Amino acid sequence: MGEGKRSIWVFGDYRNYFQNRVTLQLISRASDLAKAIDATVCVTVFGHGVDEWVWEYTCHGARKIYVCDHEKLKFYSNDIYLHLMEKLVREHRPEILLVGATAFGREFAPRLAKRLKTGLTADCIGLDIGEDGLLVQTAPAFGGNMLTKIVTPVKRPQMATVRPGTFQEIPHDNDAVAEIVRVPLPDDLPEDRVTLVSSVRQPERVQKLEDAAVVVCGGRGMGSRKKFRNLYELARILGGEVGATRPVVYSKWADEEALVGQADKHISPRVLISFGISGAIQHTAGIRDAGFIIAVNKNPHATMMKMADVAIVADANQVCTALIKELRKRIRS
Amino acid sequence: MVFNACMKHKLVRRSVREFAEAELGPIAHEIDREARFPKEVVEKMRALNFFGLQVPRKYGGAEADSISYAITIEEISRVSGALGLCVTVHNSVGVYPILKFGTREQIERFVPGLATGGHIGAFCITEANAGSDAGGVETSAVPDGDSYVINGTKIFVTNGGVCTTPLVFAITDPDRPGRGASVFIVEKGTPGFTVGEIEDLCGMRANPVSSLFFEDCRVPRENLLGEAGDGLKIGFDALDTGRIGIGAQAVGIAQAAYEASVKYSKERQQFHKPISSFQSVQNTLADMATEIDAARLLVYRACDAKDGGKAFGKEAAMAKLYASTVATRVTGGAVGIHGGYGYSREYDVERYFRDAKVTEIYEGTSDIQRMVISRAVISEPI
Amino acid sequence: MREAPPESGRNHDALEAALVKMIVCMKQVPMVSELPWDRKTGLLKREAAEGMMNPACKSALEAALRIKEGHGGHITAITMGPPMAAEILHEALSMGADRCLLVSDPRMAGADTMATSAVLARAIETFCSDFDLVLCGCHTSDSETAQVGPQMGEELGISSIASVDDLKLTGRRLRVERVSDHFLETLEMDLPGLVTVTTAHYTPRYIPMAGLQDAFREPSILTAGAHDLGMDEAELGLEGSPTRILEVFSSTAGKQNVVLAGTPRKIVEELFERFDDAIGSVIRKDLKAVK
Repeated sequence: MGEGKRSIWVFGDYRNYFQNRVTLQLISRASDLAKAIDATVCVTVFGHGVDEWVWEYTCHGARKIYVCDHEKLKFYSNDIYLHLMEKLVREHRPEILLVGATAFGREFAPRLAKRLKTGLTADCIGLDIGEDGLLVQTAPAFGGNMLTKIVTPVKRPQMATVRPGTFQEIPHDNDAVAEIVRVPLPDDLPEDRVTLVSSVRQPERVQKLEDAAVVVCGGRGMGSRKKFRNLYELARILGGEVGATRPVVYSKWADEEALVGQADKHISPRVLISFGISGAIQHTAGIRDAGFIIAVNKNPHATMMKMADVAIVADANQVCTALIKELRKRIRS
Repeated sequence: MVFNACMKHKLVRRSVREFAEAELGPIAHEIDREARFPKEVVEKMRALNFFGLQVPRKYGGAEADSISYAITIEEISRVSGALGLCVTVHNSVGVYPILKFGTREQIERFVPGLATGGHIGAFCITEANAGSDAGGVETSAVPDGDSYVINGTKIFVTNGGVCTTPLVFAITDPDRPGRGASVFIVEKGTPGFTVGEIEDLCGMRANPVSSLFFEDCRVPRENLLGEAGDGLKIGFDALDTGRIGIGAQAVGIAQAAYEASVKYSKERQQFHKPISSFQSVQNTLADMATEIDAARLLVYRACDAKDGGKAFGKEAAMAKLYASTVATRVTGGAVGIHGGYGYSREYDVERYFRDAKVTEIYEGTSDIQRMVISRAVISEPI
Repeated sequence: MREAPPESGRNHDALEAALVKMIVCMKQVPMVSELPWDRKTGLLKREAAEGMMNPACKSALEAALRIKEGHGGHITAITMGPPMAAEILHEALSMGADRCLLVSDPRMAGADTMATSAVLARAIETFCSDFDLVLCGCHTSDSETAQVGPQMGEELGISSIASVDDLKLTGRRLRVERVSDHFLETLEMDLPGLVTVTTAHYTPRYIPMAGLQDAFREPSILTAGAHDLGMDEAELGLEGSPTRILEVFSSTAGKQNVVLAGTPRKIVEELFERFDDAIGSVIRKDLKAVK
C-alpha cells in the first residue's frame, strides 16, 4: 500500500463472533471513511485455519485482506500478534487503524500504539473525517457523562479502539471480492512471555439488567402496579429487561432487583425506553451510559425528556400498549 | 488553626465516612428499631482503631489528634448517633481518664484491652439523686484493708450493658462533701457488680444504656484512679473531653438531617415545583447550613485548644452547648421539611430528631454548660 | 526513596527473592458523583471537584498488600499529577504502602496515555529499577482509556497482562485469572512483569485510623520533576502527546432530542418510521413495516 493509495485498516477480531460482530461494524464504518479520504479498506486476519473469516470479512466489505495463517497463531497472544502487526503496519503505513474495543483489543491496541509511537483513542463511539482530513474520534469520559473529540494530527496511523455496537455492519454480499495477501510467518517471531494455562468459554449467563442491550424503565407515571406489569411484556418482546425508579420499588410495583439509580444499578443498554420518569439525578446517574434513549412523559419539560434522543409527549401507559401492539405486528412479519 | 482544610483531616473524614456508610448505614435504622447493640460492627470499628483513637501507638491506639477524633465521631454519628455515642463515651470518658490519671501499671493493664481487646469503657456519675449536682452522689467506697467496698446504684450509664471497665465515681470521704469523691476502675465479673435492665429511651436506642448496681463490691486499691479525693478533678476533666465528643456527635446528627433535607427538598414537588424553590424552605436550609458550620468550628476550636495544651473547658462547653442546640433545632427543622414523611418511622429523619435531643442533656445539660461558660467568662480579666 | 537509585539491574539472592518489590501506579480522579459540571458549556469544573484514588488503582494496591502479607514484600506507590495528588499517596501509606513517589511537573500537564506511560516508566527506571512486579488499576474512572498500564509494560520492556481479577505468586511465577471476551482465562508469566487489576476481587480494605495518623507523622513521599527523570519538554505533556483533544462536551448535547406528540398510535408509527434501524439493529429484528 506504500505505493500510492491510502488505506484504512481494521484488525480482524473474530474470537467472539457470535456475541460480538465489532469487526464487521468497523469494516462498515471504515468503508464510509474511506470514501471521504479515497482509501482502501484493509483487514488483517491472524490465526490458524482462518479462511472462513477471510470470506466473512470479504462479504462484509473488506477490499484487501492480509492473512497470516499458522499453527503458532492459534491462540490470541499479545506478544506474537503485536510483533506481526507492528511489522505489517511499518511496511504498509496505513492512514488509520481501527481495533474493536473487545477485551483483547483494549490490551492489544495500546501496546501496538506504543510500539508505533502513535496516538490512540479508547473506546470510541463516533468516527468521522474532519475538514482537514483527520480522523475525528469521539470517546466517552466520566462514565459517559461527557464526550471528547480527539484527533492525532501528525503521527500515523491514527488509531482508535471502537465500542462494539457503535456502527451498523454492511449486509452480507456473496458476490463481494477482495484482494487476499498471504503473509508468511516472520522468522523472528518472539516467544510468548505469557503462558496460557487454560481458557474456558464462560457459559451464557442469565441476562441481567446491567448487561441488557434493551431496558424498559418505568416510573410512577405508569399509574399503577397493574399497568406497570405491561412493561414486562414490552421487555419480553424486545428481548430486554425491566428497570424501575425508587418510588416504584417503594410502592412494590417492581422488585428491588429492578432498581436503577445512582446508588443502585448502573445500566448501559444500547436502547433505553423510559416511561413516566421525570429524571431525578438519583435515577439519571444510573443511566448515563445508555445509548439511544426514548422517553415517554406527559410533561415535555421533564429532565428525562431533555436527555432523550426521542421525547414522546403522551401518557406512558398508552404508549406502552401501542408499542406492544405495533411490535407484535412488525416482528411477526 | 487550620480546620478541616488540611489533607489529613479530609482523608480522615472520607475514610470514616466510607466505612460508616457501608457498614453502619445498612443497619442504623434496624438497630434503632430493635434497640440492638451491634457487636459485629463494633469489632469492625475496633479493627480500625476507633476504640483507641487517641491512645498511644504502643498501647494499640491510633494516637490521633483531637480534630481527627472529632471528625471520626461526627462521621459515625452522621450515620448512627447511637454508635457515635458508644465510641465517643468509650474514648473520652472510658479510656482517656485512665491514660491521663492512671499509673503506668493501670495503663498497661487496662488500656490495650480497651483499645484492641474487646473491652468497652464507661463512666458513671449519675444516680437517682445526683446528676448535674455531683455533690449529691450517694454511692460510697469504704476502705477496707487493701481494697475498697463499693455500695450504690448508678443510672443512665451509656454503654452500661456492655462495658467491661466502668469508671465509677464514689464517695470515699463522706465528711468532705464534694472533695471526698474518688474514681475506681471496676472490672466486669467483680462480685457485687451487676448490670440492670437496658433503659427504654426515646433516642440513642442502639446504645445499651443501663443502671449499674454495686453491692458490697470489693475493688482492690490498685484500681483507684489517681489519689483518693481526686474524684471531682478526674470527673470534670473527663467531662471536658467528653463534651468535645458530644459536640462532634451533635454536629454529625445535624449534618445527616441537613443533608436529608437538602436532598428531599429538591425532589419533593408541591404546586408543580420542588419545595426547595420556596423561600421559606430556602431560609430553613440556609440557617441549618450556617449553624452546623458554626457548631463544627466551635468543636474544632476546642480540639485545637486541647491539643495545644491550653485550658479548653470553656471552649468544650461552648461547643457542646451550641452544637446540641443546633442539632435539636436542625433535626426538628428537617422533620418539618419532610412533612408527614419526617414523622414516619419508615424514614430516618425522626430518628435524628429523637437522637439529637439527648445531646442537650447528657455530659452536662445545657444549663450546666452555661454555668461552666459563665464562670469562666466572669473570672476572665477584661 | 531516600536512598540513591540502585546502580545495577536485579540481583536475586535468596533473601532478595523472598521480598517481592512491588510498584503500584495510581491516579487521582475527581469524585464523579460530586462532580460539578457547567450545564451551559458542558465542561467539568475540575478544580471544584474533590479528588480521590481511582477505584481500580485502589484494588491494585489491595492486591499488592495481600501479596506483601502473604510473601513479604515492599510497596512503592507512584502517581503523576499536581501537588494535590500527594493526597492519594498518603492514602496509600495509610493502607500499608512503604514509600511513595509523586511525579509532578507543570510541564507534564495535558499528557495523553503515550506521554503518561513514558513518564511513569521513566520514574520507575530512575527510582526503583529493581522492581519485581508493577500493578496498575485496569482503568480510571475519569478518562477510562485502560491504556496507560499496557503502554508502561511496553515502555519498560517487560511482559504484561491486562485486566486481571485475581493473582497468585509462587516464587517468581505469577498466575493470574481474568475474564476476557467471555473466556475465563488462567495465564502465567515470570517476574518481572506488569499487571492491571480490576475491582472484581480486590475490594480495598478500610483505612485504619492508626495507619492514617502514621502516614502524616512520617510521610515517606519523594517528589520528582521532569529534570529528575532526565526528560525534556518534547517528551512531556501536550508536546509529548500524539493526540489532541478538540472539544469536551456533555453527552446529551449531541442528542437530536426529537419530540413526538399526538395519539399513541400515530406516535408509535412515526417512531418506527424514523428509528426502526436504531431499535431493530439492537434487537436484531427487521422492524420495517409490512408493505
